[in-house]
Amino acid sequence: MTAEPAKLDVSLQEHEENQEWWWIAEKKRSKRLDYLRKAVWKKGALGGNYAPGIKVDLEGPKLFTDMWNFWKFDPIIMRRAKALAHVFDNISIFITDHSQIVGYWGSAPHTISWRVDGASIVNEELYNEPGIMPEPEEESLRKVAEINDYWAGQTAVDKVARILDPEDAVKFLSGAIGWGAPTSAYGYSGKNYEYYLKGERGFEDIIADIEDHIAEAEEKTIGTPGPDILHIYDRIQNWEAMITVLEAAIRFANRYARLARTMAEHLETDEKRKEELLRIAETCERVPAKAPRNLQESFQMDMLIQTMCRFEASEGAWPARPDYYHGPFYEKDVLQDKTLTEEEATDLIGEFMIRAYEVGGFGPRWAREGMQGITGTWVWTIGGVKPDGSDACNALTTAFLRTARLIRVSNPTFAFRWHPKVSDEVMRECFECIRHGLGYPSFRHDPILVANCMNWHGHPVEEARTWVHQACMSPCPTTKNGVQPFRMASATANCAKMVEYALHNGYDHVVGMQMGPQTGDARTFTDFEQLFDAWTRQMQWLLSLLVRTVNLGRYKDAEFYGRPLLSGITERAVERGIDAVNPEGERGNCWITGFTWVENADSLAAVKKLVFDDKKYTMDQLITALESNWDGYEQMRLDFVNKAPKWGNDDDYVDDIMLRCLRTLAKHSRVMRCTSNNTWPISPQNVSGNIHYSSVVGALPNGRRLGDALYDGGISPGPGLDKKGPTAVLKSCGKIDHVGDGRAFLLNQRLSPTQMAGEKGYQLWRAYMRTWADLGLDHIQFNMVSDKTLRAAQKDPEKYQEVIVRVAGYSAHFVDISRKTQDNIIQRTVQGI
Amino acid sequence: MSTCSDCKSFFPREDEPGKGDCVRRVVDPRQAYYTTKPKNPEDDASGCGEFQKR
Repeated sequence: MTAEPAKLDVSLQEHEENQEWWWIAEKKRSKRLDYLRKAVWKKGALGGNYAPGIKVDLEGPKLFTDMWNFWKFDPIIMRRAKALAHVFDNISIFITDHSQIVGYWGSAPHTISWRVDGASIVNEELYNEPGIMPEPEEESLRKVAEINDYWAGQTAVDKVARILDPEDAVKFLSGAIGWGAPTSAYGYSGKNYEYYLKGERGFEDIIADIEDHIAEAEEKTIGTPGPDILHIYDRIQNWEAMITVLEAAIRFANRYARLARTMAEHLETDEKRKEELLRIAETCERVPAKAPRNLQESFQMDMLIQTMCRFEASEGAWPARPDYYHGPFYEKDVLQDKTLTEEEATDLIGEFMIRAYEVGGFGPRWAREGMQGITGTWVWTIGGVKPDGSDACNALTTAFLRTARLIRVSNPTFAFRWHPKVSDEVMRECFECIRHGLGYPSFRHDPILVANCMNWHGHPVEEARTWVHQACMSPCPTTKNGVQPFRMASATANCAKMVEYALHNGYDHVVGMQMGPQTGDARTFTDFEQLFDAWTRQMQWLLSLLVRTVNLGRYKDAEFYGRPLLSGITERAVERGIDAVNPEGERGNCWITGFTWVENADSLAAVKKLVFDDKKYTMDQLITALESNWDGYEQMRLDFVNKAPKWGNDDDYVDDIMLRCLRTLAKHSRVMRCTSNNTWPISPQNVSGNIHYSSVVGALPNGRRLGDALYDGGISPGPGLDKKGPTAVLKSCGKIDHVGDGRAFLLNQRLSPTQMAGEKGYQLWRAYMRTWADLGLDHIQFNMVSDKTLRAAQKDPEKYQEVIVRVAGYSAHFVDISRKTQDNIIQRTVQGI
Repeated sequence: MSTCSDCKSFFPREDEPGKGDCVRRVVDPRQAYYTTKPKNPEDDASGCGEFQKR
């Protein structure tokens, strides 16, 4: 099939005038892309539930468990390598009509994968999840029960839980103060792209390197006995595990090649499609065994590796820098050799994004509610600079942006590394994506974030400049010592609990238990300093508990879980013969994700203003009102909403409190240390935790009641509370030191589609972005879909399937998020520029 | 007894004698695709709902 665009009709102009970009996209994309885009089974939960027809994949888990049991006497890393190889050799694979890129994390397109060895509590939840068992359901349930019985007590989290301090374990598992699991089974794996994705190396080259390392090590083990050679035995085992799985990965790719050849030679009648299938076969015979030679091979290698890594662990993020690593192949194929037309390349780019969009794994309810509509945070990084500081944008940067507007997927999204040398052409392409309502690219301030990487973790400037988003927000280098092979989501803090506990002596009225330290009865506090001191101690306690748990999980992960495939593509691990999760030689790149952060500043400011400064209310009255969830205290609640200053209005009263909170926390960030003995800065953002935690966080002095949605972003003002216009928002946020106060700070803004129309709209936005850059903010992202469209989508979701909104740290299709989240987005202030 | 090698969906591997692939066409509610999984030629196919005599 050629990349022939669908015929345009007269209504296209009409759609453009009405800014109905999703219908324009459908008409403009090629027939191939239209087929593939509509063929996707949505794996992100709709609100908290899976879409009809989605079934858990039982083939992979059964294969993995059988072989895991068979090799029970092997060390963990070899056991995983052999079990993984068995899955690669035997799981059903498929090639969809019209597709040119292959690879999926499951045995059929409608399946979601299941990580059996991660956590028994997740396994039990799967057993009780209605609607996702393959038919016949009874037989599937029996199979799941057998697998669960086998893994009970020996999953990675089960093992960590046994050695955690019991009090920490109970509080961590309460679900009130954080989320995630302290294991790489569900981690966010940074990738060492500088090692394997530069078109210089294939798996056969890595295997040859490893064989040399083994030969050298074996030579040492037969030398003079002594303690210095003992660790080599473990390293040889690790190297052999890497080879086992890298060889299996090559065979996995060859299975796709064989299927494509069988289809071409025996089953396909269309000559054009036969050619495509033979090209797929040649591609999968080439990569990942050998280095790619063209764009299709480069995309395919990347896709296969990402897919295979998900068979090894449920990677919850997809760190990537696709324009940088695949760009040279695009320029060679499209601009120099002209072996690909621009349209053909668009088909490949679009399919690459669609393949990523369709990936899905089973997630427990808290994860589904926290990331409604998507299966992970596939934030792909584009733009930025090269290691020498020059502009890294290339022809593929703009090609990705143009294709995104045709494909309209919510996962992956793009984050653009802005720097002063970015051309106007690229800025216009970015703006068109925003104007088309994608909610992406988000904008990241490259010079600020390079400095931030150097400040917190000591990365040299050339390495810092390689950074990609490891998850939603946090920059991470892709180099040998800079890459972080996994970051566990369990260092995710429900920060509103800091002020809640400071007001309730560490007691949690929602879950009904003493959580934080007893910092005093707030009714007796006589000045703001006593309250702030209590807040500081609660903050330190909460973060330390989460970080202790994560550190322990990380320290023990190679023993409790192990990642032979990730190790095989990580230079540091290949060179040393260690598991990639072993922090040896890693510089460290940790961060604490700070959910529900801004409630602290607004709440503390409200107490300072109305209780200690104005003396309109007493602490006793406030605590009584909060304990009553403001019930019976509505006038008082409205005073706390309206008569206390709120973050985002360029008001030093509250902004100073925000800075004081951040700087007090940053001081603690330098005291807490990661497994690489580096720092633990905070990154305030919410994913959609502002909705997930709404029923967990009690009433707060900012006027919020238990059950109300929390604020939507890391440093975003509360919905409707930023009343002084967009510049005031930027000025408040610009007071933060985006290098020294934390790792990254998420800011959501809503803009009016009407005001942003045409050239004038672009120029207005450019001026706004210049202010943003001058003030040194590290992040900003935009929703630019009108209330009218969003309300129409609420009434008639079928017609608005491709309308996308920015939720908090990610984009989602509006129809895939809960009504509460939808309403929360509509409530956000539309900023007039 | 019918075996996999008797089935139209079975394709022996040229480079690995004694092994083969079961390649089938699937049309689901959203897309059409070919799927494959490894099979031995002598595997019992009598219980296979997809069996088609070659």
